Amino acid sequence: MQPVYLVNGKRSPQAKSGTIFKDIPAPYLGDYLIRDMVESSGIASDDVDEVIIGCVGNPAKYPNIGRVIALEAGLDQRTSGYTVHRNCASGMEALSQAFLKVGSGRSDIIFAGGVENMSQAPLIYSDEMTDFFMQLMKAKNPKNKLKAVSGFRLPHLSPIIALEQGLTDPFCGLNMGQTAEKIAREFGFTRTQQDEYANESHRKAITAINEGRFREEIVPIIAGEKLDKVISSDFGPRGDSSVEKLAKLKPYFEKRTGTVTVGNACPITDGGSMWMVCSEAAVKKYNLEPMARMIDYHFHGLEPERMGLGPVLAMDGIFKRTGLKLADMDLVEINEAFAAQVMGCLKVMREKDLAARWGVDVLGAMDMSKLNVNGGAISLGHPVGSTGSRLVVTLAHELEKRKAKYGVASLCIGGGQGGAMIIENLKV
Amino acid sequence: MSFEKFSFENKEGIYHIGFGLNETKSMTVISKQTLEELDQALSQISDDKNAKGLLLFSHIPGCFLAGMDVSVIQSLSSAIEASEGCEKGQSVFNKIEDLKVPSMALVDGICLGGGLELALSCTKIMCSDSKKTSLGLPEVMLGVLPGFGGTYRLPKKIGLTSSLDLLLTGKQLKAIKAKRLGLCEYVMPSERMLEKGAEYLFKKDADKSLQDSFTEKASENFLARGVIFRKARQTVLEKTKGFYPAPLKILDHLEASFGKRRSSYLDSEASAFGDLSQTSQSKALQHVFFLQDEAKKLDGKDSIKSVGKGAVLGGGTMGGGIAWLMANAGQAPLLKDINTVGLELGLKQSSLAFKSAVKRKRLSHDDFERKQRSIKPTLNYDGFKSADLLIEAVVESMKVKKMVFSEVEKYVSDDCLLTSNTSSLSVNEMAQALKKPERFAGLHFFNPVNKMPLVEIVRHDGVSDETINKLYKWVLDVKKTPIVVNDCPGFLVNRILAPFLNESAYLLEAGVSIEDIDKAILNFGMPMGACRLMDEVGIDVCVHVGEIMEAGLGARAKANKLSEAAVAKDLLGRKNGKGFYLYDERGKSTGVNPDAEALLPSKKISMDETEIQMRCVIPMINEAAMILNEKIVDSAATVDLGLIFGIGFPPFRGGLLRYADSSGLDHIVDTIKKYSVEVDKDRYMLSSYLEDLVTNKKKFYES
Repeated sequence: MQPVYLVNGKRSPQAKSGTIFKDIPAPYLGDYLIRDMVESSGIASDDVDEVIIGCVGNPAKYPNIGRVIALEAGLDQRTSGYTVHRNCASGMEALSQAFLKVGSGRSDIIFAGGVENMSQAPLIYSDEMTDFFMQLMKAKNPKNKLKAVSGFRLPHLSPIIALEQGLTDPFCGLNMGQTAEKIAREFGFTRTQQDEYANESHRKAITAINEGRFREEIVPIIAGEKLDKVISSDFGPRGDSSVEKLAKLKPYFEKRTGTVTVGNACPITDGGSMWMVCSEAAVKKYNLEPMARMIDYHFHGLEPERMGLGPVLAMDGIFKRTGLKLADMDLVEINEAFAAQVMGCLKVMREKDLAARWGVDVLGAMDMSKLNVNGGAISLGHPVGSTGSRLVVTLAHELEKRKAKYGVASLCIGGGQGGAMIIENLKV
Repeated sequence: MSFEKFSFENKEGIYHIGFGLNETKSMTVISKQTLEELDQALSQISDDKNAKGLLLFSHIPGCFLAGMDVSVIQSLSSAIEASEGCEKGQSVFNKIEDLKVPSMALVDGICLGGGLELALSCTKIMCSDSKKTSLGLPEVMLGVLPGFGGTYRLPKKIGLTSSLDLLLTGKQLKAIKAKRLGLCEYVMPSERMLEKGAEYLFKKDADKSLQDSFTEKASENFLARGVIFRKARQTVLEKTKGFYPAPLKILDHLEASFGKRRSSYLDSEASAFGDLSQTSQSKALQHVFFLQDEAKKLDGKDSIKSVGKGAVLGGGTMGGGIAWLMANAGQAPLLKDINTVGLELGLKQSSLAFKSAVKRKRLSHDDFERKQRSIKPTLNYDGFKSADLLIEAVVESMKVKKMVFSEVEKYVSDDCLLTSNTSSLSVNEMAQALKKPERFAGLHFFNPVNKMPLVEIVRHDGVSDETINKLYKWVLDVKKTPIVVNDCPGFLVNRILAPFLNESAYLLEAGVSIEDIDKAILNFGMPMGACRLMDEVGIDVCVHVGEIMEAGLGARAKANKLSEAAVAKDLLGRKNGKGFYLYDERGKSTGVNPDAEALLPSKKISMDETEIQMRCVIPMINEAAMILNEKIVDSAATVDLGLIFGIGFPPFRGGLLRYADSSGLDHIVDTIKKYSVEVDKDRYMLSSYLEDLVTNKKKFYES
């Protein structure tokens, strides 16, 4: 494998779904990031080999959003573009494909990232209603038409919420929140422990915003009904968060006995992120100054009902693959889908019995000063298609600021998987 | 038989006439020769007993026929000659209509004026679905009416109401709209037209829908017709204020000829054309047409590289307007300001312009989203090295602008054109701040950018011709009208506008009322009164410009005291709701402002309307003569183009200097001399250039 460079990584601000980004079509959460990086790198619009975009709820209007983004970004029409789907790790999947293509020498410049507008997840007609429409269309004469019409029942109209369906595992039947409840129950995490974790996420995010730590990674985006507002900051982290306030929220997924609330889980979110991934030849040719090198990635599966522990298996895999250890990492990102799920990961990482249960090495006790230092999905949000690459964007920028060397970004993946990626900061 | 102006072929009984043969220009026009040759060809077809049909098409992609050659219309020296010309054309087109076999025009691209009249004389019209396909009868814009049977055949085909809309406004229709109105029968991909044309020529079509025939019946009813004509006349008068005779003549002719036989209908059309072609308004409009046509020419245009990416410095109204222009032209501009407030002001301006296009259905919502989002709002210079053209629209201060330019030069590529949208500062001085002044020039836009067609390209001593040519091409590319001017206070347009506004204020000081002045100016044909215009521009801006003019031009530009006094009372114009007039929250005028009245002398004088007009217009002519003398622009034509498109000087007068020429320069010089004694010797200091023209018995357009 040849070296793979992360030349530049940017992201949009992230906003809770249904708020300021609710009307932004998903391609526009990503195209402008490419445009920004093309402009600042000085490459031409026909120098890009491919655009790879992760997107979970690919809008019906843009069947292959990767290609749409390539064109909306003003890249040459000859630029190939496609879309990848690995649930919550779709953005990381896009990066991993760029890694293989550039590393193997097939490609020189790839834009890889993810976009998600969860505000625009559709409502779907029920199977009965779809069937009703089909019958109606097939009916050619009045008699058949009447017969078809008489098949209609009012309850057929009640829609299926695509988002809810998408967040429910088809094998274990649990939705993602219920998988977090399972971990909380089995590992004995209390409601307060989870709320404390969530509160800390908000505190770190607000500190980062106030210190301007996201300024370099965010490209301001045009928003508002008239498209005359410029948004340059995340819309989600709460400066007034407290454990007491979080304690007032009712459990969302298991109403009576549960501990997981909307406060200690990540909110559904709109946002996009993008990386310019280049070969050594491209770096030399265009005189680029890469931020980081992508060392490797790893994906790993586990039981769907405990999908939240995926990051441990993925990190175990990547450490074995690269020979690096947790202790070598200057910064660690574990995506905060749920407080309980991150806490579960930390427990499995350090406890021998649990590690053995999932067949991994004891990775070690997490140095909390290295974990999710600028907050995580609980405060910043989790636009599912984007988060996989967003974590790497935030990680790389923070490594650069700290002049630190290695960082690992990891996340759990609905359906029972984990993904992890190690990068090396080159701006030391 | 073969012809020079079109190909002529008989393919198994179907005759094919293909226009644009041997044509080097992208737009084919109908010449006298075309008509003569058509006449011969049609005779042959009607003599051929085995003929089955006729197809008319064009060899030039994007243009069927762009109409009659305007220079032919311009050369007509009398009404009789013009009417006779019409009759010739009419008889040729009648021949098509009278063919015993079906005929069809295959329209791919522009089909205007005589071109559409030709198509209308065919049994059917087939249009291509190309975006370039556009049908219309724009004759009214030249002060005449369609003279080859268009006024007869259009109402027959699409009904009276739709016809009036096209005939009175000269508006053009795309293929789909044309089909909806019944102007064309079929819409096809252009590649299939010849093949399908031969088939559809003989196709029998379904009868008209019930609704269509009902509408037709309704307008045949003479009562309804009366209402339609009355309403149309009213609208025309509102829009043209009676300055333009052509639309009224069209209405008279249509009303009088309605239901008459073809021959008398066409006679009336020819005679109306003859009359209109000799009106001063029509001559003036033809003159403006050629001015515009001339402005679109640029030597070696195709070899000049187009601007791919734009950049704008400074949000705000002008910056936002310019960003809109670039975004609309696909140049994905960077928009930089020093704070988000400025960026959002700029985005708001651009959004307003796009939204108004969406409202008028000129732009889809998706394209609005795409184009508006192609603007990149930024607070730093990241990505500026990708820009090909930068336009600065920051605050109007020499110090700030110089600072900005010396800074920005570090961030842009070596080939990036740098321009300033200054309206009042010296471009020569600004150029001194640059390391590479040869790629710098002034680029003066008018507010609001999306509506005002003119852009002044301002030269300075160190600018290269390459830069000027590139900018000229860019202005044409973004569908604006460019004029090239040399650096001087106010450049061309504002320098000539300034004495007009200044003199109006002096008239107010002398005791002429606001209403009298504005009425006189409106009756002259200007789009708004002088006091109204000062409100629009902003009285504070007028004061500022006045100072610059006085500083630069001396005593003849001595600024009035009234505007200053108005500003001191916080009367700034429409922007703060109070100027010479008062405005409500939506910016609508609610009448004369008593506070402004209070600043004027209580003793009013009544002045003759013509006198007011002369007092305001003659200083403009005098200043224009000085501008020509100083070689600020190259010709009288440029002055006229600038004033028509920059301030809306009445097109039916053909421009300021054409108006001066036609009113007699000796008379104007005499008036100036009179005013220099009676009014003010400095403000009416006669231009030596103008005096020389009179001495040598020359005109502005002959010098």
